[in-house]
Amino acid sequence: MESLIEELKTKIITGFHLEGVTPADINPDEPIFGTGLELDSIDALELVAILESDYGIVITERSVADKAFASLRALAEFVAANRT
Amino acid sequence: MSRRAPVITGSGIICAAGCGVAAVWESVRANRSGLGPLTLFSSPRFANHLVGQVHENVDELAGNIRGSRSDKLAWIAAREALAAAGLESGLGIINPARIGVMLGATVGGMLGTEQFLAALLRENKHRFGPLRFHECAGAADLCAKQIGALGPVATLSTACSAGAMAILAAAELIEQGEADIVLAGAGDSLSRLTLNGFGSLLLLDPNGCRPFDARRTGISLGEGAAMLVIEAEEAALARGAKILARITGWGASCDAFHATAPQPDGRGALAAMWRALKRGGLQPAEIDFVSTHGTATPDNDAMEARALKKLFGDRVPPFASVKRFFGHTLAASGAIKAVLAVQSLREQAVPGTPGFEVADEKLGLEPVKELRAQPVAHILSNSFGFGGNNVALVFERADLSCRSRREAAHFKAGSSQSLLASAATERGFAVLGIGAVSAAGNSLSEIAAAFRNGGVATSAFAVPAVSPTAQAKVYACGDFGAEQFIEPAKRRKLSRLQQMALVAARKSFSSELAQKVALEKICVAVGTGLGSLNDTAAFVENMILKDERSPRPSFFTSSVHNSLASQIAIELNCSGLNSTLIQREISFETALWQGANELASGRAEIAFVGAADELNQYQLAAGMRWGWWRGCDAPSQKVAATPSSQANQSQSSLVSAGTGDEASPAPSATRASQLLSPGEGATVITLGRPENAASPLAYVSAIRIGRSENQNTEAEARWIAQTLKRDGINAGEVDLLLTGANGLTKIDNFYRDVAAAVSRRAGRNIACGAYKHACGEHHSASAFGFLTAVGLVRGDIAPELCTMENTALPGKCRTVVLFTFSPAGTKGMCCLRA
Repeated sequence: MESLIEELKTKIITGFHLEGVTPADINPDEPIFGTGLELDSIDALELVAILESDYGIVITERSVADKAFASLRALAEFVAANRT
Repeated sequence: MSRRAPVITGSGIICAAGCGVAAVWESVRANRSGLGPLTLFSSPRFANHLVGQVHENVDELAGNIRGSRSDKLAWIAAREALAAAGLESGLGIINPARIGVMLGATVGGMLGTEQFLAALLRENKHRFGPLRFHECAGAADLCAKQIGALGPVATLSTACSAGAMAILAAAELIEQGEADIVLAGAGDSLSRLTLNGFGSLLLLDPNGCRPFDARRTGISLGEGAAMLVIEAEEAALARGAKILARITGWGASCDAFHATAPQPDGRGALAAMWRALKRGGLQPAEIDFVSTHGTATPDNDAMEARALKKLFGDRVPPFASVKRFFGHTLAASGAIKAVLAVQSLREQAVPGTPGFEVADEKLGLEPVKELRAQPVAHILSNSFGFGGNNVALVFERADLSCRSRREAAHFKAGSSQSLLASAATERGFAVLGIGAVSAAGNSLSEIAAAFRNGGVATSAFAVPAVSPTAQAKVYACGDFGAEQFIEPAKRRKLSRLQQMALVAARKSFSSELAQKVALEKICVAVGTGLGSLNDTAAFVENMILKDERSPRPSFFTSSVHNSLASQIAIELNCSGLNSTLIQREISFETALWQGANELASGRAEIAFVGAADELNQYQLAAGMRWGWWRGCDAPSQKVAATPSSQANQSQSSLVSAGTGDEASPAPSATRASQLLSPGEGATVITLGRPENAASPLAYVSAIRIGRSENQNTEAEARWIAQTLKRDGINAGEVDLLLTGANGLTKIDNFYRDVAAAVSRRAGRNIACGAYKHACGEHHSASAFGFLTAVGLVRGDIAPELCTMENTALPGKCRTVVLFTFSPAGTKGMCCLRA
């Protein structure tokens, strides 16, 4: 799980072009969106696209996304459970 | 000045609920949804989604009209509206100069462009044909040509409020005396881009939208068009036309909040509704029915319900959402609702809300479920677009006498008295600041230096769509210092073109000024020919290559044309009218015209007006294929192998018409050597009312847009002289006519002949000038021309650097007329003075 969390951190940093942010800056137990990373709802949807292209997980409802993005740890668990 | 009441004398409609007003109203009566399966194109991802596809054969209905599916839908609705207004035999009885066309569009020919890209990316086939009809300006040009309109023509592209914005602009035109009759409405077809785009935002409900329902999850995408014939009441009465309904109020606002999400508390929506009521002299209690935007997304309906409760308190009138009848038809949505509002006022019955079953307790409001008969005197109709572009319109029963009508003073058909003219007396509007991103530099002084140094060097731009080694010579913008003006967290979410426009806006704006003006008194009007082309292309490429897997939301939001104006509003907090206008070469002029109107009316004290366009390889590939660009590599074998029937269809679509043969070697401007090379750039101008300006850079007046049937130099000279006279300027004062000359002999000679004809009228030699040798050819070039004109009247740029060969050289340059002509027939002008 920890390695998946690290992998997701890297994807978020590169996928969102977060200049000056390192994996250590991201707390896996904090909400991913609406906090210090200044990621907003469009980023959340971009993350939906990343999950689909990289892990084959198709999300079509916002409620599913909202739950999965509660924290990076929640996301890692979601990915582990749903990846194809 | 007389106030002239805008009335509706004709309406037309085509959508999934039927073709023709009678058919659609029958669906509304029966509360019957027209949603069904998608058959227009295949969509692996959304094949099972219900959509509002037009059931009739659109090509057949449109007859011999050539254009995109959106253009054809628009024309089908326009034809019905004109016939209903008793104008089927033509508008011959009306002075064509007093006829305008205001259309909304947001999809344009995207459906065809997707076919082009699919053929290219999947089969490596070069089928450029559909790109000719890519532009959103197509429908307005087509309709204007069909009806012979020679008055103002513009395309409003404020996403899902575009149709309502077009009706607002038409009402303004009528009331301000710039036209006696206006065709107004919008048309948008279904496309893969919009389907995948809304899908990427998780805003689609596969089973059909459920507006205001507790279980609502999103929209159903639809397509269609609706048109109104809007006339000045007295003009309609003079020709014996039947008045169907009136437009009594209109208001626009901007959330200045987020690219796609509405301001949750509904304050932007509330402001638009409030402004519309105020404009109509109405109290909330006088509204009998609200036709909501009601898209059925969780956010929109919650926000709209909140705004309704704020406006009406505990007495919210009956309201409904008609979205399930035909889907969310994007730009057409506001126009379709307008046609239905007219029908409601005539039938004294209001539509229901198909799809609504379970009340949402959190909203505390329930819509009308099925059609019901009730007295209706006033209908409020809401339209909200991405970027928080809100428009509200109030329609009134035909036999009522609204306040604006009571105030109507003496009216003479054909009166050229215009609000713009009366506001522009004395010196005109003050140019308070200019910001630019261009190949020639990113400030007036840098650009002036580039002119002095003999122009601008072109650079090479790879065009892999033609061949792996193909390159085009272009006037590209270099580093424009985005990191200096936009915070990293915001910058990474903006397309390059959005960044260019935002940097230009920030440079043109002084924070000192911002403190003096209320934010709702700042309006933004930005022109663009083609929008954020590279992000649009990236979205479609990804969609095609990945077979609709993982669509990218940020590319989609950037592809929306009005993201340019709305991002400026978000960054600079401007909550006045927010508009994006598209009209090929005169996109900037249409934006200038709308911004100046807001100033003239007093609704705005500051107007940001400008234009922005960027280079893109597909656009260059098409231009190379069609022989537009000089200085580009010869097309590869592969391209040359495309059937010649397509080559013969290379008329104006993306840029100026012409073939390689016409592009004779003689450069027209003294410093120009490669005029026809394509370019890009963004220019934003801060305009203010003259009384608020301490030391403006220059003054602008004689702002006007129009259209010509054919290029007649005498007629153009007359139009220019009349417009100058309207604003109290003698043609004899003009030192230079600064034109869109681009190196094509035919076009350059036309401009030169216009300058000669103006000279004859003025009784003195007026020089003919050019600026595209410093910015390249693109749809936003005339905004750079505006900047050049300011540089000329201020003495920053020496006139000989912009004067074309074989014309007089002005000794001084204190009065410059900027004149731009599009091969499509539209034209725009303004006059700059020191």
